[in-house]
Amino acid sequence: MAREGESRSFRRKFCKLCFDKVDRIDYKDDRRLTRFITDRGKIVPRRISGTCARHQAQITEAVKRARILALLPFTSEQYR
Amino acid sequence: MKTYETTIIFDPGLEEARINEEVDRVSQSIGQAGGEVIEVQRWGKRKLAYNIRKRRDGTYIHIKHKSPPELIAEMDRRFRLNESVLRHLTVLAQKETPVAAEEPGKGAEAAVAPAEAASVGPKE
Repeated sequence: MAREGESRSFRRKFCKLCFDKVDRIDYKDDRRLTRFITDRGKIVPRRISGTCARHQAQITEAVKRARILALLPFTSEQYR
Repeated sequence: MKTYETTIIFDPGLEEARINEEVDRVSQSIGQAGGEVIEVQRWGKRKLAYNIRKRRDGTYIHIKHKSPPELIAEMDRRFRLNESVLRHLTVLAQKETPVAAEEPGKGAEAAVAPAEAASVGPKE
């Protein structure tokens, strides 16, 4: 019964931002945005975070703006 | 005229009076161009995520304003020339829908919506 093991580990990803009913993501909200970047400062891909296309597009835009304003890093300190 | 949000990062070594002077100058140029300053936010001194011109901190000023589009290019030029500005960014302000959601008439709709989101959310 290998199938049982499969179904136990399977869990559908869902967009946390949709779940929280987030309408718009602000580039000034760096605390929220840090959840969507890796420790290297990369933007977390959709396949990992499970965010929907609409919110992922908003995150991307917001992170890029926040980087310009040095609210978020382009890359983390130790890899520079 | 469009509504913009301009964030300016000033050199942390600048005194408060100098920053006020700079902010006044920006506000004046907006006024002269027929625009309007809606809000000035002072975020104060913040740590930068990475060093800019060897500075670790910066003094953030956030201005929301209505301006003619031509002024944005001129503002950009001035910030570039200004040595005390470490970084600046002007973006179009987003329309404020959250305010409309708080209207009492829409309260009933809002109450139904979260329940739908809970059932729809995990499927997406």
